[in-house]
Amino acid sequence: MEGYAGKILRVNLSDGRVSKEKISEEMREKFLGGRGFAAKILWDEVSGVDPLSEENKIIFSTGPLTGLPLPSSGKMVIASKSPLTGGYGDGNIGSMAAVHLRRAGYDVLIVEGRSETPCYIAIQDEEVKILDARDLWGRTTFESQDTLETKHGKNIGVLAIGPAGENMVGFANVISQRGRAGGRPGMGAVMGSKNLKAVVVKGTGKIPVFDEERLREMGKEGYGEIKGKENYDFWIRQGTMQVFEWCDENSCLPTYNFREGTFQFSKRLDGYALEGVKVDRKGCPLCNMQCGNIIKDLENKNTELDYESVGMLGPNIAMDDLRKVGVLNRMADEYGLDTISLGSCLGFLMEASERGLIDARIAWGDLDACKKVIEEIVKKKGLGEIIFGGVRKAAERVGGDSRDWAMHVKGMEISAYDCHACPGMALSYGTSPIGAHHKDAWVISWEISTDRFSYSREKVEKVIELQRLRGGLFESMTTCRLPWIEVNFGIHW
Amino acid sequence: MAEFRFLGYLAEIYGKKNVEISLGNPRRLRDILGVEFPEDRSIILINQRVGNFDSVIRNGDRVVIMPMISGG
Repeated sequence: MEGYAGKILRVNLSDGRVSKEKISEEMREKFLGGRGFAAKILWDEVSGVDPLSEENKIIFSTGPLTGLPLPSSGKMVIASKSPLTGGYGDGNIGSMAAVHLRRAGYDVLIVEGRSETPCYIAIQDEEVKILDARDLWGRTTFESQDTLETKHGKNIGVLAIGPAGENMVGFANVISQRGRAGGRPGMGAVMGSKNLKAVVVKGTGKIPVFDEERLREMGKEGYGEIKGKENYDFWIRQGTMQVFEWCDENSCLPTYNFREGTFQFSKRLDGYALEGVKVDRKGCPLCNMQCGNIIKDLENKNTELDYESVGMLGPNIAMDDLRKVGVLNRMADEYGLDTISLGSCLGFLMEASERGLIDARIAWGDLDACKKVIEEIVKKKGLGEIIFGGVRKAAERVGGDSRDWAMHVKGMEISAYDCHACPGMALSYGTSPIGAHHKDAWVISWEISTDRFSYSREKVEKVIELQRLRGGLFESMTTCRLPWIEVNFGIHW
Repeated sequence: MAEFRFLGYLAEIYGKKNVEISLGNPRRLRDILGVEFPEDRSIILINQRVGNFDSVIRNGDRVVIMPMISGG
């Protein structure tokens, strides 16, 4: 099967060994790429280990379309045994690192072992180096991106962790390009446990394809088709933020730590409110549906908002101003914290405070209190000591009835959809392989368009179908699923 | 009066986000709207129950017309 760079790059940080392995035809056909490759490698090579130990491995895995001039093909999957859940964990990220990795001649990067001192991996085609990162340790992901671009030039891909990953916070993620985020289930903490601050990639080669001319034609047709869709302009204006009003109307909006499904101040936060403060947009490489909405936050700094972040750092903690949400979102991106889990952790602490289960007072919608807690999470001090491992572990410490309103599945915090009145979505969260993530089977549209309250066999089959399509096909191809439903870009399977 | 609410880009197709219309006799939704919507990608709720463009709407009904989405 064509379309692969054909090699796995393996870097061992304990002894500095670098090796390159061929990807077998059988592996390509059975596991496709991305999540498929990552799950196969972890299944074969990692068993019964502490996620933050030297024995765990972290996989950076692209798919057969990654880096090609096709719509939404600028992503990769980052996977490992998760410190947040204790099981398989992964997340996808749109990054030039995905494109460069393939151009450098690799489909997959496996990092194993642990460096004695902070380091980063620098890949330029065949040359692979493990370099000193002591000067980067303690720096934010934005500062790290800047420093690495100064050292290696702007035409590179960077995957970096912030202080949260260095300190092994359970929901520390990986950030690229000052705002692209991935690896919800603590992939940043795994990098931190290995003293791996960043991966820098530059590839100058060509990705092998079967028919280059036809590929170019298909890409041109695809980009043109997307741009010609009747809702393309609306998407460009609001992106995923259009979901906010939709969820509020359908009582799916996470509000007050998922106690309610609608928010009294939703008009201050929805896609139309966003349009009023939006100053720019950003997105993944090779995408013409860029969904990162840039606003100036309350501290007059740029921050990139999408629905999940606004849902969890907005109504879920009763924050009623997009510019305030922006401050928390920017802090999370700088420190390398997942915004979904962060919003759930803040909501958990607010509810615990309200119920008198913790001494500290943290009121709903209190921006300053949230900022303080974020600093404490990163340092694992104060309230951060309680919550850095996510809400499941926090509930074990806080006690009382907090297990009943610690909103997670398998230890991973629930994405920004309240499923009290969407049992199919509850099933989806409950059976997702990595915990409560929306990427595997988002079935709410289908439920509402049929019979949202039913517990039918048909609904179960729809969840399974979507899990295979979204969690299986898209995550293994590592192409974005948003063009498919959002602008009705045709796929055939 | 019947109340109509349009979400997302469907509001732009109709030209308004919210409208109230006095119907007199009950009428089919498509006849009331008089605008072409992408029917296979629209969800219609009438008083919170699933409907379609041929559903009959009466005064007092609340109709929500929204696009299919796939989450954030």
